[in-house]
Amino acid sequence: MASTKPLCLPRCGFPRRTPLCRSKTDRLAKGSECYQKSLSLNPFLWSPFESLCEIGEKPDPDQTFKFTSLQNFSNCLPNSCTTQVPNHSLSHRQPETVLTETPQDTIELNRLNLESSNSKYSLNTDSSVSYIDSAVISPDTVPLGTGTSILSKQVQNKPKTGRSLLGGPAALSPLTPSFGILPLETPSPGDGSYLQNYTNTPSVIDVPSTGAPSKKSVARIGQSGTKSVFSQSGNSREVTPILAQTQSSGPQTSTTPQVLSPTITSPTNALPRRSSRLFTSDSSTTKENSKKLKMKFPPKIPNRKTKSKTNKGGITQPNINDSLEITKLDSSIISEGKISTITPQIQAFNLQKAAAGLMSLLREMGKGYLALCSYNCKEAINILSHLPSHHYNTGWVLCQIGRAYFELSEYMQAERIFSEVRRIENYRVEGMEIYSTTLWHLQKDVALSVLSKDLTDMDKNSPEAWCAAGNCFSLQREHDIAIKFFQRAIQVDPNYAYAYTLLGHEFVLTEELDKALACFRNAIRVNPRHYNAWYGLGMIYYKQEKFSLAEMHFQKALDINPQSSVLLCHIGVVQHALKKSEKALDTLNKAIVIDPKNPLCKFHRASVLFANEKYKSALQELEELKQIVPKESLVYFLIGKVYKKLGQTHLALMNFSWAMDLDPKGANNQIKEAIDKRYLPDDEEPITQEEQIMGTDESQESSMTDADDTQLHAAESDEF
Amino acid sequence: MGGVKETNILKMTTPNKTPPGADPKQLERTGTVREIGSQAVWSLSSCKPGFGVDQLRDDNLETYWQSDGSQPHLVNIQFRRKTTVKTLCIYADYKSDESYTPSKISVRVGNNFHNLQEIRFLASLRWVQISSFSSEKFVISDHLKPSSLNSSKSFSIQLCSVAVKELRFFGEEEQLELVEPSGWIHVPLTDNHKKPTRTFMIQIAVLANHQNGRDTHMRQIKIYTPVEESSIGKFPRCTTIDFMMYRSIR
Repeated sequence: MASTKPLCLPRCGFPRRTPLCRSKTDRLAKGSECYQKSLSLNPFLWSPFESLCEIGEKPDPDQTFKFTSLQNFSNCLPNSCTTQVPNHSLSHRQPETVLTETPQDTIELNRLNLESSNSKYSLNTDSSVSYIDSAVISPDTVPLGTGTSILSKQVQNKPKTGRSLLGGPAALSPLTPSFGILPLETPSPGDGSYLQNYTNTPSVIDVPSTGAPSKKSVARIGQSGTKSVFSQSGNSREVTPILAQTQSSGPQTSTTPQVLSPTITSPTNALPRRSSRLFTSDSSTTKENSKKLKMKFPPKIPNRKTKSKTNKGGITQPNINDSLEITKLDSSIISEGKISTITPQIQAFNLQKAAAGLMSLLREMGKGYLALCSYNCKEAINILSHLPSHHYNTGWVLCQIGRAYFELSEYMQAERIFSEVRRIENYRVEGMEIYSTTLWHLQKDVALSVLSKDLTDMDKNSPEAWCAAGNCFSLQREHDIAIKFFQRAIQVDPNYAYAYTLLGHEFVLTEELDKALACFRNAIRVNPRHYNAWYGLGMIYYKQEKFSLAEMHFQKALDINPQSSVLLCHIGVVQHALKKSEKALDTLNKAIVIDPKNPLCKFHRASVLFANEKYKSALQELEELKQIVPKESLVYFLIGKVYKKLGQTHLALMNFSWAMDLDPKGANNQIKEAIDKRYLPDDEEPITQEEQIMGTDESQESSMTDADDTQLHAAESDEF
Repeated sequence: MGGVKETNILKMTTPNKTPPGADPKQLERTGTVREIGSQAVWSLSSCKPGFGVDQLRDDNLETYWQSDGSQPHLVNIQFRRKTTVKTLCIYADYKSDESYTPSKISVRVGNNFHNLQEIRFLASLRWVQISSFSSEKFVISDHLKPSSLNSSKSFSIQLCSVAVKELRFFGEEEQLELVEPSGWIHVPLTDNHKKPTRTFMIQIAVLANHQNGRDTHMRQIKIYTPVEESSIGKFPRCTTIDFMMYRSIR
């Protein structure tokens, strides 16, 4: 796969830098290998799993999220703090070195890193040091896991990974000195306490942020770092965690849902918030130690300066894998609680139980996510719906389900689910671009404008918000403004494929096909599995009547998403245009089987049959369609044409007039022409009269009157 | 067919004031047309400094173009490629512009400056409300050919036993006459086959102003193209959301 794809993968922020650089520089095979490795080393990681799904590989959740890789379990514990291994650089800059270091890295990483807990201390510091290779830290010398010693080392962290996202060297350097990021050098009280916390309670705090803020786009953070203007509260501390984030398990993954929030707090900061959520929400896990949780946590909370307000509209941790965090937190809390009062054996036992529970949850979610990424949507919905309710009712899960419905073209359901998400987590920005497109399809302009206003108010730096705004204006047919907003989304995050796709669609609507082509191609460059962009390319070629190219692109889109009936429908039409009518019919039949509710498939099937002169079957199809969609003027139009061909002029006329009634503004011309043409071959007197009357009428006349008149005159002519 | 029961002679009155048309924004919202002025290069035959193309195209009805030369005053719209144009919307307001308000406009299309041809308008003359005198219906059997209208644009028609709701008379003319306009004027640009014209260039010529003014004010001009039909197939647009939902992947 890697060799054939000329395009780079979207950023997959990943604590294990190597896969990130791999995927960025298009060595997909290597990249996925690294992800697999990291998963095998630490199965609690969610982000590599996610990235694998998005690349298109199909990791087996059962295999991955197994409890058997216990030899590394101790490494997976929150206890083992993470040392930030020198990021072999900005892998994006030195891909070769990274390449060679890979095998070493992963092992080393495993020992030293956990999921980036300390996002905070990432970046900055020694960006220069960051260039130091692995030689600096040899695997053997670094002690495993816990220990404050590691903590201190930790401080020297190097910027994490691959921030290849961070565009280039310049990105790092300004970060280091100027923004007081160096936690040790310019400790803000919070930081200090944080550190102290670390030293005081070696056991926890670092929650393995496996699923953690997975969506923190590293890139974004990187960008936000460079443009520090983002941090609105001038709180220097704010910047730190942001930068830190980059380090974190910032799995930067999917192109679609990306959270761009400069004020993403680090996982650790979120800790107190999470814990408070634990207390307040009903979703506390059923672990027996929940009581202990309460006991142990409160003392911690004051230590942290909770920057709860820093999130503009907070998209933060909570959004991502809420449930995961809670359970993780749980396990960490448990372990922490236990340490003081319980013996190590019991502690270990509880840890194992926690881990087992966590694993099973990860398995389920993994299965669901995998199904969704392979566009096996019905199954994804099924799996995810079976999650226990406190996990189900979280933003992430519901967003995935909403997206599954969206891919199935069941926009009503999707809308329902997304509005639920908005109700539960109204600060969530990720995944909202899908909601905005759903509303666009349903043409709910009020809801869409409310959504876009909310999102842009909450977070002006997220591409999702600008995509929603663009969709809103596109629905109002103000394409220039929509284009402006989509371009803004791209500016805010150049690696967000969906923004390119939407921009492409707008250009198509304004007839600037070349620009549209460029946009779709950009989207594919960013994410080769973005089937919407392939579809867009196909559409453009179809408009330009380059049917075989169109078919090829639609086919590519279909390969990625085989369940889409809309795609199949388009392919059918293109095949028909290429004169392959048999195949077209087959494709359309397939489409109807997959999704019987799609009226367009039936409509196109009827039109293909009509073109092939199978009038009876076309009529039958259309009659069925009339039952499904009684108010659609196109249906009557086509029925009218069929009758005209069959010579039943009265029925044809009747249907044409119905069609015109149902569509007063748009299709008048075509329908009128159809009516006029119908009369041309006839030479009867009364009918020519009618024709003239029709001909002289201009569009100002109401269609109702037209229909009435013609019928009236027809009736009269009969009398004479 | 129906004997003559009563005859009535009707006289066309002189044209009343040009009624204002609908706001073009409404037109855009229907989704059937799209404004494409931004895809063209606009130029004017003359203008007063500060009252030029920008003011003509700024979506602001308070600002206007003021010409500064001899008649005819021209607005040239040149497209990069041959474009289908359906409607031209001109905003003119007699109350605010008085003698600067255009009264006679000619629209020409073509490939370049040397190749322009006037568009013939189906200009509807005035409405005449005819009261019904009997309940018999009567069919009007042929067009009135343009030649049958005399130049003063008044004529009489004999109608027999008519119960008519509306009567409209259409003549083709080459110049658009405006009489004290007070809003948007929609000018349909159609070719001989009643379809929207396809052209590289449009030239709007102001031939005369009200009260014989020399210069003209034009507040806003918008040019519309018909929106392409549905994304797939050569069918007209769908009307229901159910169809439109499945029409494309976004």
